[in-house]
Parts: sequence; structure tokens; C-alpha cells
Amino acid sequence: MSKINITVEINGQKKSAEVEGRMLLVHFIRESAGLTGTHVGCDSTNCGACAVLLDGRAVKSCTVLAAQANGRKVVTVESLSDGGKLHPIQSAFLERHGLQCGYCTPGMLMSAYWLLSRNPSPTEEEIRKGIAGNLCRCTGYQGIVDSVKLAAERMKEAK
Amino acid sequence: MEEELTSTEKLVRGKGVYVDDIRLPGMLHMAVVRSPYARARILSVSGGLNGNELKGGVESVGEGAAAAASETTEPIFGLKSANYAGQPVAAVFADDLYSAQDLMDSVDVEYEPLKPVMSIDEALRAPPIYSSTKSNIMSEKWRGEEFEIADAPLVLEDEFLNRRVATNPIEPRGLVASSEGSRLTIWISTQSVHSIKEGIVGSLNLKPENVRIIQADTGGGFGLKGGMYTEYLIAAYAAMKYKRPVKWVETRREHMMASRPGRGVKGKMKLFADRSGRVLGLKGEVIVEGGAFSGGMGEFASNFIALQCTGPYLIQKAHVRALSVYTNKVPLGPYRGAGRPEAAFFIERMMDKLADELKMDPADVRLLNATTEPFKSPTGLEFDPSRPFIEKALNEFNYRKRVANGNAGIGFFVLVPALQPGETCRIAVRGKKVNVWLGGNSHGQGHDIFIKKLVSDEFGIGEDDIIVERGDTDQLEDGVGAWGSRTAMVGGAAVVSVARKIKDQIEKEFGEYTPEHLLSNEFDVYTFERQKGSLTSLGGNMASVDIDALGTVNVKEIDCYYDVGRALNIDMVRSQIIGGAIQGMGQTLTEEIAYGPDGQLLTGSISDAGVLNAESLPRFNIKLADSYSRLPHGAKGLGEAPTIGVPCALARAIEKVSGRRIRETPVKPELLVGLEG
Amino acid sequence: MTPASFDYLSPASLEEALGLLKEHGDDAKILAGGQSLIPLMKLRFTSFPYVIDVSRIKELKYIRKEGRKLTIGALTTTAELEESGEVRDEFQIIHDACSNIADPLVRNMGTVGGNLSHGDPGNDLPAVMIALKARFNLQSASGKRSVSAGDYYKDTFTTDASPEEMLVSVEIEIPDGRFGAAYVKHKRRAGDFSVAGVAVAFSLDGSGRLGSAGVGLTSLGPTPLRSAGAEKALEGSKPDGEGVKKAVEAARADSNPSSDFYGSREYKLFVLGKIMEKCVAEAAGRAQKEGSA
Repeated sequence: MSKINITVEINGQKKSAEVEGRMLLVHFIRESAGLTGTHVGCDSTNCGACAVLLDGRAVKSCTVLAAQANGRKVVTVESLSDGGKLHPIQSAFLERHGLQCGYCTPGMLMSAYWLLSRNPSPTEEEIRKGIAGNLCRCTGYQGIVDSVKLAAERMKEAK
Repeated sequence: MEEELTSTEKLVRGKGVYVDDIRLPGMLHMAVVRSPYARARILSVSGGLNGNELKGGVESVGEGAAAAASETTEPIFGLKSANYAGQPVAAVFADDLYSAQDLMDSVDVEYEPLKPVMSIDEALRAPPIYSSTKSNIMSEKWRGEEFEIADAPLVLEDEFLNRRVATNPIEPRGLVASSEGSRLTIWISTQSVHSIKEGIVGSLNLKPENVRIIQADTGGGFGLKGGMYTEYLIAAYAAMKYKRPVKWVETRREHMMASRPGRGVKGKMKLFADRSGRVLGLKGEVIVEGGAFSGGMGEFASNFIALQCTGPYLIQKAHVRALSVYTNKVPLGPYRGAGRPEAAFFIERMMDKLADELKMDPADVRLLNATTEPFKSPTGLEFDPSRPFIEKALNEFNYRKRVANGNAGIGFFVLVPALQPGETCRIAVRGKKVNVWLGGNSHGQGHDIFIKKLVSDEFGIGEDDIIVERGDTDQLEDGVGAWGSRTAMVGGAAVVSVARKIKDQIEKEFGEYTPEHLLSNEFDVYTFERQKGSLTSLGGNMASVDIDALGTVNVKEIDCYYDVGRALNIDMVRSQIIGGAIQGMGQTLTEEIAYGPDGQLLTGSISDAGVLNAESLPRFNIKLADSYSRLPHGAKGLGEAPTIGVPCALARAIEKVSGRRIRETPVKPELLVGLEG
Repeated sequence: MTPASFDYLSPASLEEALGLLKEHGDDAKILAGGQSLIPLMKLRFTSFPYVIDVSRIKELKYIRKEGRKLTIGALTTTAELEESGEVRDEFQIIHDACSNIADPLVRNMGTVGGNLSHGDPGNDLPAVMIALKARFNLQSASGKRSVSAGDYYKDTFTTDASPEEMLVSVEIEIPDGRFGAAYVKHKRRAGDFSVAGVAVAFSLDGSGRLGSAGVGLTSLGPTPLRSAGAEKALEGSKPDGEGVKKAVEAARADSNPSSDFYGSREYKLFVLGKIMEKCVAEAAGRAQKEGSA
């Protein structure tokens, strides 16, 4: 099978590689770009641990071909913090127990980030719907919802 | 800068290092070829690494382990027969995951499918799966004493079933094995590096000093990651054979097929009572669907459930038969609660039935049968006086007022944590930092938080000076594991014990203990803090629900009142409780690993398996008993409490609203709208 | 899990895509958003020598409203459709369906054309298009044709489109006067596939009786279904009248769900009845507000 050359802008940096057509975006991010914050948790597009932004929208990178992202922009969890400084969503997750084992966390953060980028003052119900495509087995989601609420408040104050 | 990050901060930055994040030069990826049949004779296997080369079995280790070896214990590879859909028959290896999965087609297996045994009832009727056993009974024990009550005014009988549920941590199982010279190093997602080491050493016949197990960041366990699995042995063997590192991370579909699930237990209960509601005796039968192989939780669970069948009540006569049976399903494993939720479900369903029979309030039946003195039941369950606890809980729930709405249920239980045999800890002080290793390894509960608190309190130093290390068998020679609601309790006691030993040493050496003496010198102390007897605690839940015209249960509120001893970190305790409560709710409403009659898995995805997402979850009211245990730091068990109590309370609430007797989990909407049962 | 190997083709225009379809025919599979296809390929339940990624064809990404006519380009994502103010205000039934597809992340990738052409009886948009009597515009290198939504679904994962054809757009035209439509989906749990789904669309005459009606069903048979029997029963009935009960019976007769993990056959038929009543009432409420669906 023929390989193809693709270039994807990941976190502002262009990453070019020759890949098989079947390569999934999540593996391109993890293996080719070496950014392992984006996780694989299932094989049925349910868990959302692999969530990243593709051209500004949150998607499940395990259900996107790397080739589909050719010429497009990807943002992963690694770029949320500004150097050493955590993004308000990240610090809220630390403060409000938005995580236990941390495996679902990068995907949760990216879904929350996308949600707040469209809707800076979500209600609890909107938050729950916004992260409906991300599964967490540890926290029962309460800490996550509380974290997103706190982050929304902080981000509004900062504006 | 990386050095400065706390472990949780790494995780929110995407800088955690889970097994799948480990890449070693020359690393091979492993894919496992599995039996598509629940039961088959294997006529031949060729291709890949298979049972013709790698013989032997899985050494049973971890929670609920039992030593045994026969045709009924799990082989590394199925060679002559396959006994569950998903049983490994071969493994293939390639430079990347895609190629490894391509290579699976290169393995040829000739099967002759046989009719599988797929349920407890079938197991008891059907001819034995194995030629070396007389029946499909894996184990049989009795607890309590035989008794007869000829003239009991009330005899109530019922039968209950908790169907199998998958553990489903969001990070599946996985490891990287690497062999250099005589040394085998394994990075693994685990609850206990020590039980993994024991299993690897025992099964592959290696020298303990040649094996090192290191815990990677571990993305949830819930019981799954305490034990040994055939895939670990295959990867370890392959790393030694090919002299290249080998990575295996299970797919979610493999998790559904081949990761040991929990529950899968039937309870037949017969309660003798007088007309005032006082229980006179209990006869029971607990039947655990152990799955295809003996020697693990499946074999052990029935006896453990029978122990707890009397609940927090003054039941003076009890006799319970504990059976485990073979079926053609993946062997049972421990899942958060591991026997505790089943026992509570059975006895609490009976207490509700008794209340209904006598038209009493379920709370009054429970209070009437509760104890005012410490009690040891005929099955062996020991607990503190339950009456004052239940009274307090009902108050905290505002039960008398809320029960009038007709949509609430309660459940009470005794939490039996895995106290014995204790736990190990090592503290090494050097370079002005205090490094701590614990025998049981955090699989995501944030043990770091309470360990730091205990060490900081004992030593009078800042938490920044404390480093909680990951599990590593080269750093800590011995240990047990993080399961059975035990770590804050026994692990915490071990931490305190080592810290006090170091303080004593400093006092002897310097005349007094000061943090300065601690940090400006070097110490290295290890202890195995052994625990005897039992240290149970009481818990209670209330739940309220709505049910719509389609039989969808909407859980409105879940109340928890638990005795966790001294709460070492209240936010962490809350987070543990809510997470566990949602698992208990999942088990009651949606979670199930289901098979068709031909033995094929029907629930191949995490969504089909019913794991709840963030939508439509209840409000929580969490209260803790004011309590301090006999341990030096005052802690009691916690982790499993919500998975024990929530299904009991929820089942009753559903029963009240639907008017239908709830006997099974998950509760099917079909039942609630009157289409079955 | 990972897909088996294939050759990846990425046409930049519709013309190029149709040329590739002609060239590879049965050996090729169209990939739009991939949210149904990629999971099946990852589990290796299906594989193809050629995958034609049509997602770069910008000319098929549009939502066009002219009066009471709505045309949707096949590569519009379900999220774009969900977010469209015009669709939300004037074609609420489409908003009902889009906001219920899987989860927000899946909707960001999944396309209208993919949802309609995958042929999965559990997908939501087919029933809606059947109820709205939508026209599907198909194109191949040798020409164009249009097929009604109700005639598009032939078997599970099989549509009327030939291997050389591609669904390029959907056209919906709602009649003048009072018109109402709604989609109700029942899930075991948020994010799941449906146990059953019902789409209903109808005109309401001056006396408050139903005129021409459309009924589409999700997860109730081997394909997305049109219930002609239910349509007939609804016509001439009042939205809360006997006709609705007859429509439920007719829809049950037109359905053939199998018992599976999402529910027993009996339960699915029970759910069908309950949600159809709800759906008709919802649509009737909307019909009071002239000029929207």
C-alpha cells in the first residue's frame, strides 16, 4: 500500500511525515510527534481520552485518519499551559478534584476547553452535555463539573 | 522544572507516563490471537508464539489468590482446548501496532466448537466441562451451623442475581517487558508490583533477584490490576526470547472479552422471622459464576460472600452454602467490592421483603434487628454496634420525612476491608528529601495526598520535602497491594510506623527529634507492619428515584453515611465516594457484560457495557461518622463502601416507585414497564 | 485497534471524486467524517482496497435556505447543522435529531451525508428525512438522479446508491400553511444508540386535522423505516385523536425490531408507541406556529 506525505500543524508547529493512509490521527500525535498526553482508552469512539482540537473543534483523534488532518491544525493537551503557567482549566482540575487516575483527563480538558471557547458561562447541564463524549471511571464526574465551573468563573474574571 | 511538578500536575499537563507512553529502542508490539469460541477443542495451532512452545499456567496471585495447578487452572495459551471466547491461543509481534495486528491473520487455529456452558443454572445441570471433575462445581464450603426452626411464624424465600460487570478503568491493562542479560524489567499498570513479581517469578520459573517490576502511572484499577494475567507472561517470555522489549496494551474489546470482570453471583436466601419483624435465622446459598478456570477470585468469592450474608444484624442462627461453578466465560476477578456488594444486596433485599411482608417501615425492621453490642455472626462477620449507627444515619438522611415521598430506599452494610496481612513501607531520607515507597500501589486514588499528609504530620516537615515514589520491587523488597479498601488503613499504618521508627532513631542519636535532624541526615528504614484480626466499619446509603413511562430510572439523590474512621483528606474521601457511588449506580441500572447463548460477547464496547457518562447524574449528600479507629492514624476502610451500599438503596427505591420486586442487577426497563418478570 | 491497509485517495473536487468512484467501483469506500466507518475498520469488521476521503470537497459543505426549501450539502457536519440558527428556528425536527447524535465530539466530525448513507438503522437523520419526504441527490461520473428518502434504504448498510454514485445533497421542502415535525429518540443512557426513534411530520388544516403526513422510524428494523401505514392512519386524524393510536398500531406492524442488548423486541415496540404519541403531540404544538418544521 502506498504511503502518503502529510503535514499537520500540531500546537503551532508543523509536523511532516510519510504515513500509511490507515494511520490514525491519535497515533500520528503520539508516535510521530511524540506527544503522549493524548490517550487511547477505547476502540469504539466512546471514551474521549483521545480528544484534541482539529481546526478549533474538539474531535476524537482515534476516529480520524492522520491523512484527514493533512494541512489542518491540531491542538493537544500539551499546549494548554503557557510555559510553566497552567491554563485556568488545568488549575481548576487540580483544585476541585477533577481527576483521580488522570487517564481521561487530557481528553476531558480538551472537551472542556472547547466548551468554554463557545460558551463562557455554561450551566451545570450544559457542562454535563459538553463532556458527554468523555468517560471517567474514577470521579463520578462531580469534581470535573465543579472544575469546569470554577475555570469558567476564573476565565471570565481574567477578561 | 519537570522535577518540581507534583504527580497530579503532571497528569493535567499530559506529562504522565502510562505504559503506552513508554517507548524503548527496538521495541516490539504484541497482539494476541484469541479463541472466537466459548468452548472448543483445538485440533491444531500454528503460527506466532503459541502453546506448542510456551507451556505452563498462570500463577494465581493478588486479591483472592489460591495456589493450585491442574487442567482447571488457566494455561498461558489454550493448546488442546479453549474455554472462553477471548482465551489467548497465540501471540504475534511486530515493529508497530498496525503490523502486529496484521500478523494476527498469519496464525492458523483449527477449532472444533463444542456447546458452551453459559450460566450458573446451566452449570449445575450440564455435564462437567472438564474430564477431571465430577461436576461443574469449582468449590463448595459451608459457613455457620445447621439449624432447624420448626415453628417460625414467617419464612421468606427469594433469589437474587448480580450479573457480571466489567471493571473498565479508562486505561486498559498493559505492560512493557525488557530483558537484558539475566535481568527482566517490567513496567506495568498495576495495583501491586509485588503480586506481579510473584506471578512472573512463579509462572516463568525465574529467580526473584532477576526480576524487577516498576509501576507506570496507572489509569485506574478497581481490582482488575492486582492480579496476574496470561498476557503478562507472554510478553515477559517474548522479551526474553527475542531479546527485544515487548509492549502489550489491551484494546477495549479485549478488555470486554478477556479482562476478568466482577459480580456474576446468585443468592438464594431463606429468612426465618417472627411477626414482630425479628429475624430468627438465615439459610442461604451463594453461587458464584467462577468462569472457565479455578484458582482466583471466582473460587474464593463464594466463601467470602457467605461470610457477610448476615449483614449488620443480630442474626443468631445462620447456615450458608458457598458454591462456585465453572462456565465457559472468562474467569471472574475482583471488581471494587469483590463479594461485599453481593452479600449486602442479598441480605438487604430480604430485609426489605420482610418489612413489606409485615407492612413495616424498612428502617424499623433494620433497627429492630440491629445490635447494641459488638457482634460476631454465625457466619463469622464481626462488627461494631449497628443500632446507634443506623439511628444516626437515618437522622442524617432525614429519613422519616423523606421516606413519605414514596421514592426512597435505604441500605446498610458492614465493610470488611482486606486488613491482613498488613502492608510494607520504606522511607529513605537523603539530600534533604524524604522518599516514601508503599507496598500497595495507587492506581489513581491519589494515595500521594494522604501519604504526604501522614509523613508531614509525623515529621513536622512541609509536604514539598516529601516524594511519594511509584512501586518498584528493587526499591521495596516486599509488599501486598492496593485493594479491598485497605490502603489508607494498612498502608497508612505502615507509613506512620516507619516514620516513628525514624523519629526514635533520631531521638536516640541526637537526644531529641527535630525536623532539622531528620533532613540534614540520611535514614533508610523499611517495615512490614503486620495486621491481625479484623477492623470492619459500618455504612449506610439512601437513594431516591423517578421512573418514567419507558422504564428509565432517573436517580435524584444519593445519600451516604459512612464510618471511614479519621478522614485523612476530606476532598479525596468525597471524590472516592462519588466515583464509587456512580459505579454502584451503573451496576444497578446499566452495567453488564452479556453473552448470547452460543457464548458470544454481546457487549463489545465500553458504551454497551453501560459505563455511565456525565449526563443525568444525581445530587450527593455525603456525611461521615465521627470516628477514629484503633490504628495509630485512626483510618478505616473506604474505597468499596459506595459500591456496596448504593445498589441496595437504589434497588429499594426502584422497587418502591415501580411496585415491582427487584431481584437482579442491572434492573431492566422491560421489568419496570411490565414486559417481563 | 487499527484499520487494515488501504490506499488513501483524497480528491479535491466532486468531479475528481466521481472519477475515482468510477475507476474503483466496488473496491472503494467513501470516507466523509468517518465516525461510523472508522470504528468498523479499526475493529477490522470491514476493509477496502481504496478509501476515498471526500472531506476536502468544499463545494458539498453548505446549508441553503430559500423560503420553505432547505438544501444541505452532504459534507456539512452534523454539528454545523445543529448550530445553524435557521435550522433550529425553522426545521426544529432536524435540530432534534442532530443534537441527539452520539456526543458533541462525534458531531464535530460526522457529516450529514455519512449519517444518511451509512445505512445503519440506528442512525438518526434517515428517519427525519423520511418523515420530511426529503429528496436525496445522487451523482456519478455518468450523471445525476434523485431518490426519495423513503426509497433509499434497501438493507442494513445497503442503500440505493450504486458503488459509482455518491450522495451530494439533500433537499427538503415543507408545504405552505401550518406544518409541524418532531423527532423523539429513546436511549437507555445518554450517548447510546437509540432503543427506538420516531420522526413525524405533517400539515395541519383549518379544522385542526392532520393533512399529508410522513413517519420515519429508527432502530426498529433492518433499515431506517418509513411507516406508510402510520402516515395513512394519521391523515385526517386529530393530533390527540384515535388516529394516533391507529398510527401506533400501524407503525408497529411496519416495524420488525430484533431483541438485542438494547432491549427486547416487545420493549422496543412498547417504546415506539409511547414516543410516537409524544412525537405527534410535539409536532402538533410546533404546527401551531405557522411556517416551521
